[in-house]
Amino acid sequence: MKIQQMAFMIIAIFIFFALVAVFFLSWQTRSLKSDFGAMQKEQAISSLAVISDMPELNCDSKTSLCLDEDKIRVMASNYSQRYSEFWPVASVKVYKVYPKEQFEQIVVFDSGQTNVEEYSTFVSICKKLKGSGYVYDSCNIGKLSVGVKLPEVVK
Amino acid sequence: MKPINTKKGQQEMIGFVLIVVLVMVAIMIFIVISVRKTPEDRQSLEIENMLSVMMKQTTGCAIVFEPEYDNVEDLIKSCYLDKKCENLNKPSCDYLNETLSGIIGDLGQTDNSIGAYELSVLNEAEGSAAIRLAYIRVGNCTTSTIGAQKTIVSDSGNLIVRLRVCKSV
Repeated sequence: MKIQQMAFMIIAIFIFFALVAVFFLSWQTRSLKSDFGAMQKEQAISSLAVISDMPELNCDSKTSLCLDEDKIRVMASNYSQRYSEFWPVASVKVYKVYPKEQFEQIVVFDSGQTNVEEYSTFVSICKKLKGSGYVYDSCNIGKLSVGVKLPEVVK
Repeated sequence: MKPINTKKGQQEMIGFVLIVVLVMVAIMIFIVISVRKTPEDRQSLEIENMLSVMMKQTTGCAIVFEPEYDNVEDLIKSCYLDKKCENLNKPSCDYLNETLSGIIGDLGQTDNSIGAYELSVLNEAEGSAAIRLAYIRVGNCTTSTIGAQKTIVSDSGNLIVRLRVCKSV
């Protein structure tokens, strides 16, 4: 009888600790998944700097995350199709977000692919202006959005 | 018979106390790990880029002559040196606050996941308390924040621009 009681007690303690362990593991897995998602996003944003620093788009070889408005307009005027095999992505879009009154979407390149996931980051959009006999840089804030093709799901 | 029963009761009590202690230790370890793992103010590349791009925004303030307009970074330095926007006939610090509010308001609207944000520009001189040059706060943050900061080197002391964003999703 005493051995039976002890066995029950040991089983109860074991089940209790197993439940605690399951709870802890599920919490850890959730935290790990969220960290993985955040890291993937950070990696995608880092890759966007590569696109914005391309000499065909950037405003200054010394400045990162800076697009030349004139260059992106030239590229958007069907010129980028010549680069179709060169672009490592499915689409490249630029949004002028500040000042809000000047909001505009410029599609630099679009392969027309579907099932695309877009990643974006803030960039400066600069252009040369002339006033009172001086040439100066005017920079506004924009967003560079790049579409990455997702693998097709086989049914 | 009596002494045996007392011993048995004592043994059971010790057993229960041991179990309670074990459970308490497990709970304490769990709480400590979860508190450590929750980042109060995690650095984010996304916010770092946002802040860096904000600093390059051209403003309408010309300290010397038009069209020699300050960008936000220069405007912060001008504010620190208590200069005036000659073309607007306005103190640079007033214009800095207006500009930063406008930028942060518009940028906040581009991302639905941003619940609240806080931007502060501080002058951290050595050996003295930080002086706040500009401060903008919109919304209340109940969850953890992500943020970034940038140091602007000025003549005397460093100027710190700190942006904290609260993601609602």
